Amino acid sequence: MHDASFEEKSTWIQLASIALALGGYFVIAGQMLRAGVDVLVAYVPVFVLAVVAIVAINVVGHVAIAIASRPGGRDERDRVIAWRAEHRSSWLLATGVLTAITLLVLAVPTVWVAHLLLLSLYLAELLGFATRLYFYRRGMT
Amino acid sequence: MSAGTRVTNRIRELRFQSGEMTQQALADRIGVTRQTVNAIEGGKYSPSLEVAFKIARVFDRPLEEVFHYG
Repeated sequence: MHDASFEEKSTWIQLASIALALGGYFVIAGQMLRAGVDVLVAYVPVFVLAVVAIVAINVVGHVAIAIASRPGGRDERDRVIAWRAEHRSSWLLATGVLTAITLLVLAVPTVWVAHLLLLSLYLAELLGFATRLYFYRRGMT
Repeated sequence: MSAGTRVTNRIRELRFQSGEMTQQALADRIGVTRQTVNAIEGGKYSPSLEVAFKIARVFDRPLEEVFHYG
């Protein structure tokens, strides 16, 4: 990790922020769904908290790594890694969207559809960041 | 030399011959990060043609004397 570029460290921070904040959201939202809370508005405060946590973790994390190491800017390797990682993770979001449309046709309550969409976005982001880190560590040819 | 690609290179050797040029010095001259130079040297990343030409120009060598394929 000490030899990681600024972009790689940034990827770790983004992965941690998404995993912790949205992961925490899904733990709470899961309990609410099991308790029968079916009004989508009830989930908004928890979601806002998760977004604030994501922003806070990213700001603090990026300030810390900027102090520790000189930001080198994005180069071609960073861009290629980001493109390839997105290419390998976007299917998760697409699957979630198509499943959500199917659920809407089947008149499934919107609270479930909304959370399915959010879950697919969450998993796609996690897979995307994890794939980036894999390419940074193992190489990409 | 490289583990993951059929593109091999002599960058480390040429850096040594250029007065122990550091990876950071080479990276600064071709406009990438030191980690990217390290990845190219180690065969973990095949650079774009543009970056490959820039590297060859730094060492004042033709491209095929720096990079090999096969």
